Parts: sequence; structure tokens; C-alpha cells
Amino acid sequence: MEIIGTSKRTSVKGLTHRVHEVRPLSLTAYVLRIDRDGLEFEPGQYVNVGPHDSIAMREYSIYSGKDDDFLEVLIKEVEGGLVSRALKGCRPGDPVSVEGPFGFFVTDGDERAEGSYLFIASGTGISPFHCLVRSYPGMDYSVLHGVRTLSERYERESFDAARYVSCVSREEGGDYSGRVTQYLRDHPVDPTSLCYLCGNCDMIYEAFDILRSQGVPGSHLFAEVYF
Amino acid sequence: MKYCLMQLGCQMNQSDGERVRTVLEGLGYTQTEDEDEASLLGVVSCSVRQKAIDKVYAKIHKWNLAKHQRSLLTFVTGCMLPADRVKFLKLFDLVFPINELPQLPDLIRQYGVPTPAGIDAAVPGDSLADSARGFWHIRPTYASGFEAYVPIQNGCDKFCTFCAVPYTRGREVSRPSEEILAEVESLVERGYASITLLGQNVNSYGLDKRGSEMPFARLLGEIGEIGKRSGREFWVYFTSPHPRDMTDEVLETIASYPHLAKQIHLPVQSGDDKVLIRMNRNYRMEQYRTVVQSVRSLLPTATLFTDIIVGFTGESVEQFEKTRSALREFRYNMAYIAMYSPRPGAASARWNDDVAHEEKKRRLHELSAELQAISLERNREMVGQSYRVLVSGRDRLAGHLSARTEGKIIVRFPSEDESLIGRFVDVRISDAAEMSVAGELIATREPALSFRVER
Repeated sequence: MEIIGTSKRTSVKGLTHRVHEVRPLSLTAYVLRIDRDGLEFEPGQYVNVGPHDSIAMREYSIYSGKDDDFLEVLIKEVEGGLVSRALKGCRPGDPVSVEGPFGFFVTDGDERAEGSYLFIASGTGISPFHCLVRSYPGMDYSVLHGVRTLSERYERESFDAARYVSCVSREEGGDYSGRVTQYLRDHPVDPTSLCYLCGNCDMIYEAFDILRSQGVPGSHLFAEVYF
Repeated sequence: MKYCLMQLGCQMNQSDGERVRTVLEGLGYTQTEDEDEASLLGVVSCSVRQKAIDKVYAKIHKWNLAKHQRSLLTFVTGCMLPADRVKFLKLFDLVFPINELPQLPDLIRQYGVPTPAGIDAAVPGDSLADSARGFWHIRPTYASGFEAYVPIQNGCDKFCTFCAVPYTRGREVSRPSEEILAEVESLVERGYASITLLGQNVNSYGLDKRGSEMPFARLLGEIGEIGKRSGREFWVYFTSPHPRDMTDEVLETIASYPHLAKQIHLPVQSGDDKVLIRMNRNYRMEQYRTVVQSVRSLLPTATLFTDIIVGFTGESVEQFEKTRSALREFRYNMAYIAMYSPRPGAASARWNDDVAHEEKKRRLHELSAELQAISLERNREMVGQSYRVLVSGRDRLAGHLSARTEGKIIVRFPSEDESLIGRFVDVRISDAAEMSVAGELIATREPALSFRVER
């Protein structure tokens, strides 16, 4: 009997980390780089991050690689958002609270050696895939990144250009003009692919139905919903 | 000196309350149900539903008014959301997370209340783990003389979107296995007949301490060995497990030991994959089905219970129908079905609660009717057979006692012999109802032949 993936986990830290930098990627999105401080994680997991001494924390997928000396999360500033706004205002050396890692959106070592991965993201849902590809450069993967504008193709150069397809819905100039779900309909997937979906719930629901209709078994579908 | 304790919420909170009682009674307090005669008033809080939190606010408002009339000390512990905790600090004299219970005597002394020395359950150190250990070292004042709850873990790392536990109880921390085994052994020696291991995700026990703590299957095995050595009759349950951590190894261990009860609670929550994604349950129905198949093949006599939420945010009629199909497919003996309501602090509380209340009620009633039909069918299969049961108390029906089978099926039988309460007896099932069965007492032998151990 096997349940999705494995329960990989390391000790939970509940510590203060220091900010290295806030790297803007667009008008609203940025990468928060902080001390790694010995935090071990499985690529694909997330951490809870919040301003120091605040009770408010939010879940963010880890963006940096497992061998990086630092820890990065990709954050989109939310209108009226307490945490995303406060973190954007951090300066180098400022303390932030970090808990984790958490989550089961991880890959299996045996499958990585043999399997072919299809990563499907919307917006900042690209974050765990950035971490996975950076952590396991030898893995066989393709990325479909659904965004509204070209500026949301955050650091796409991190991916092999031949394996990355941006689906841009509101501007011309992407690899595909339209939503990522339409791309999936137009380009049926290999049902043996291990499909990882990350992003908003609507995209995941729609993609889930499309993939099932194309013969992908439920055991090959993994989802991390951003709320 | 008297104390009055208001306990809200789940079995975990009830278990926490048993430890609070130990500490207070060790300080010389005696329990009273009458708030007016108590000088110490406390709450073991629950944040699962807003209603429970509202009760806490109503209570402390009343208690603070009573302070104008007499000297009172108030405290709150248990499940608290960070935002409520901040408010409670202004309303209660003492606010502390349950794992800091060992410090309660010191906190009370600091308020100038004279208390006997020597009640100090604290252990050295100030880390989270040390704090939790101190809490678990407190011997609980069990509410029952034959049924006991043993916490083996606190907190949760699963982050189901409908649940606030990770925010109120914090992350999963496993209690040291040697303490659990010592508590179980002590309960067995004292003749306890039913022991329930408690945790928010009880079968992920030990995963937070990989390499330094035994996994859940081995913990169960060790408890099974205690049963073998004891030669006594008792049943061990655990609740509540998470389907993704329910391994064949756990089921095989249960199959290997007669003291490990053949009853599995496997919360499905929804029968629709997309709703499960939205709930962040981290399994699909295919995987859940595989677990149920393993339960059926490895534990063929086990009863199967579940939890279901109807009307979760965004649940369509079609998705609800898949839950109905799951109920039919898995033929649960019992299902705890709840209408979805946003729980403050949980992720889903931020979403539009878009299934109308009347529609939720409809789904609840329809599913309940399905469950009753299935349960009746299963209960009818028991008629004519004999079962070992644990007598739990007087039944609502005059002249009857209430008991339950190893699989937690409720059995009612005619008897007025209250000395049987807390004991195992044999009954023959004569009739089946929707959620229970009726039987006749056929033997009060103890222990059962099946529990006699070869020496």
C-alpha cells in the first residue's frame, strides 16, 4: 500500500532568521532571502514566515534549492495583506519568524531517477518547481507556467529554456498565448507523466479534470493549492 | 479551597482536563461544579467552533463581574488562537498553553495563594520539548474507573484547510514512548478495560523524531506485548488517524495482538478528489480505497468508522454525490457527519461559505439516512451471534445496561446489575436497530477464553 509520496520531514524550527535581501521581481512580487540557519527541508515543502514578534504568519513554498546556503521564498504582495506588505518592507539584518518545513508536495528518489515530471504552475505557484529544479538539476521535467503578463514569468531563466513554456493570457509575447489549461487541452500529456500542480484552486480544479480525461491516473497527480 | 473547571471540546481537551485536575488537587483544591463556591475558576478552551469561544467570553465576563463580590482567580488554557490569546491576556488572570501546565502552581503562588510545597511537575529546561515533557509527566486524574485516554502526541502538521488545530495547538510533538508505555502499563495493572491513545494525527506518531523515537506501528506492538504479559483483558484504541499515514505495518500489528482493538477510524471527509485537494487532505480517493482494502484484508473483523464534512466551501451537488457513493462503497459502521462551518483561524474561514445552510442540512439528512440504512444492514449481520462486550453504564431504557463491542457497536441488554459496569461480559445479539443492537446477557465470565495467555 502506498500513499502519495512519503512522509519526509525534518525537525520544525520556530526561530528568528535574519533577512539578507528583498529582491523585486515585478511591481508586486519579490523574493525574500533569509539566513538558512540550518533549516533542512525536502524540495517542494513550504515554511511559515511572518514579521518578527507578530502573531501573523503565512505559508510560502520554498524557492531556493536544498543545497543553497540561504533560504528564499517567493511572495506576491497582496492588497491589504499584513504579512506580504510587512515582509516587503524588510531591510537586510531585520529579523523574521520562520516555522517549518511543512507539506507533502515532494518527489520520491526512485521516481526522480526514472520518471518524467510535468510541473504546472499559475503565478507564484512556480516557487516549489524553482526549488525542485534547482535542487535536482538532473531530473527529467517540463514546466507549464500560466501567467497573465510577461512580467510574471519570474526568473524563468532558472529553467532550461527547452523545458519551460509560459502561457500568457493577457499579453502577447509568451511561448503560448492563452491560459495554461487551454494549453493542456491543445497538447495532451503523456499519461505516464508525474503531474505536479501548484497555484490557485480554479486552475488546479480545471487542470485536474483535463489530466484525468487524458488518462493520467489519480496516483500520478499531486497538488499544492495556494489560497 | 475549591475550583471549578469548564472543559470544552474534544477527547484531547477532556484528557488535558484530567491533568489540570491533578495539578489543582495536588495544590489542595477540591473540585466543585458550583462556580459560586469556587475561588479558582478555569477553562480548558476549544477553538474548533466560534460557539465554544463565545462561551469562554461569556463566562469570563460573568466571572470578572463576580470579582466585585469575592476574591477570585481565573485561568484559561487549551486550544487558543493567537488572536484570542491576546484578548484573553486582558480578561483572565492566568493564560497559558497546556504544555505549560507544570508551571501552574508557580503562577498561582505568584498571585499570593498559599499552596503546599512539593507539587512541582516541571522539568528542567525551557524548550518546547521540555515543556511538553513536563506536561506529560503529570499523572492525570482519570474521569472514569475503567476507560482512560492517553495522549501520545500534541499538535498537528497536516494543515487541513478546514481546521485550526495547527494554529491553536502548534506543531506535532510526540510524547516519549517510554512514558506512554509506562502509563499504559499502569492503567492495565489497575484493571482499566479500555485505553484510547490520543493525538490529532495519532498514526504520524514519531515522525517528528525520526531516528530517535519508535514509529506508531512499533508503539502499538509494544502495547500489544504489555497485553500479552499482563494476562488481563482490555482493548486499546487510537484516534484520530490520518489516511496518508495508515500503513500496512500498523494494520498488521493490530492483527497480531488481541488487545489491539479491531476498530479503525479512517476520516475520509469527502468522496471527491477535488474537494480533498481544496481541503488539503493530501490523498486521493484511489489511495484511500487502497487503505480500506488493506483494512478489509488484514483485519477482516474490524469495524470501520469515518468523519465526513458536507457543504464544504465550493462543494457542488455532483461532488456531494461522490461522498454519498463513498459511504455506500465503504459501508461504514459509523460516520460522524458534520455540516461545514467556518472555523476561526482555519484557512477556509477566509473563503466564501457558499453552500446555503438549507442545502447543507439537506445533504446532512440524506447522508445520515444512507448511513442509518447501511448501519442497520451491518447490525442485522450480528443477530444470532455472541459478542464479548464492555459494559459502559446504565442505558436510557429502564432496566437495561449499555455496552459496546470491540468494534464499538453499541449493545443494549436487560440487566439491573450495576456491578457489571466496567466489566467484560458475553451477550448474544437478538435484534438490530439503526445505530445499535440489542442482546441478552449469556455469561459474565472473566477473562474471556480468547484472552487467556499461554504461559
